[in-house]
Amino acid sequence: MTRHHPDSLSLMEYSAGNLSEPHALCIRLHLDKCSHCRSRVDTLDSLGAVMMEQQPKVTVSESMFDSILAQIDSTPVDEPAMPPAPRISVLQKLLGEDLNSLPWKRQLGDVSVLDITDRFPGQKEQVVLQKLAAGGKAPAHTHRGEETTIVLQGAFADQKGVFNQWDFVVLTDQDEHKPVAVGCEDCITLSVLSAPVKLTGTFTRMLNPFIR
Amino acid sequence: MTTLDQKPASSEGRKDPWSQMLQKVGKSQDREAYHALFEHFGPQIKYYAMANGLASHAEELVQEVFVSIWRRSCLYDWRKAAASTWIFTIARNQRIDMLRKMQRTSAEMPVETEDLWQIPGENENEPVTSLHRLMSERRIRESLSHLPEEQTTVIAKVYMENKSHQMVADELNIPLGTVKSRVRLALNKLKVILQDQNV
Repeated sequence: MTRHHPDSLSLMEYSAGNLSEPHALCIRLHLDKCSHCRSRVDTLDSLGAVMMEQQPKVTVSESMFDSILAQIDSTPVDEPAMPPAPRISVLQKLLGEDLNSLPWKRQLGDVSVLDITDRFPGQKEQVVLQKLAAGGKAPAHTHRGEETTIVLQGAFADQKGVFNQWDFVVLTDQDEHKPVAVGCEDCITLSVLSAPVKLTGTFTRMLNPFIR
Repeated sequence: MTTLDQKPASSEGRKDPWSQMLQKVGKSQDREAYHALFEHFGPQIKYYAMANGLASHAEELVQEVFVSIWRRSCLYDWRKAAASTWIFTIARNQRIDMLRKMQRTSAEMPVETEDLWQIPGENENEPVTSLHRLMSERRIRESLSHLPEEQTTVIAKVYMENKSHQMVADELNIPLGTVKSRVRLALNKLKVILQDQNV
């Protein structure tokens, strides 16, 4: 059961199409599993439609309609309108079938990471997968910028509560947290970082994103 | 389920001529209805493209969106979305796709635009939600006119000029917090923020 949702402002930026690709991915993954937020985005899309309708009128040449018809007519009729093929989920496309068998880099103790920033060419943010072994702890840290995280597998807990699969959380420099993986599965998260994380504990040489 | 399927037909659904026309295009490739949609939505999409930096590609976007409308109209279900909402999402996705393709020199795009912005659950049967969707569009149109101008200005910049909240703050020379609170106030009044945040 998903309980931590994106806020309305983030959903609005998503609906308007203004989010960077990694941020849009986090929202999209959440929407896949959360009908509550899907319904909120539907409403926001309607707001977009109404805004579009209320803008100043411009003219469109009538000849354009003819070229649209020409383009439609040039498409072979037997070509299927939409490929009915089962969609591969975006996560599978990015990461393959099994999250656990990815080339994880063990950072320290219970924490492993995998930087997937290169899957998002041209984007400013750093994108990392983080794995906290079942029952494991990450050292206390804050975040210098903003970190958007979605739980892909398992669950973790910190001072703010328990974050289950498909939960969505945004952490800022105001938040110091010390996540613990709960349940019997490793906890895997996808995080989009706008700036490096700052350590608050005694650990100083950590390079993994749970603590970056 | 069946009552819900029929109810909107007599109340909400039939009141929206564009949704009816889009349905005709989907069911019988009705070119007259398609032309009417073009006359109504074509200029809107062109303005949309012009407002967010695609001025020299505005007509190209209109054309691409309309070809998509034609090809996908068989999937359109008026019970799930009003035509204008359905068309807005196509225009948004095509705009994003066009910009992405212009910015990438390499074909290296492991994630497709549709993977990120196509709303999942298109084939689901969610009659309750769909009723809510139709209601919400009408309600938004009605209540938008009662919002203070400073709120509609911010929303217009976010949706039409595709500016982030931060960019809107910079442009209007007001703090980011002010932009966010204007948006929140507006979304509250438009009832976009649902009460059951802790579902």
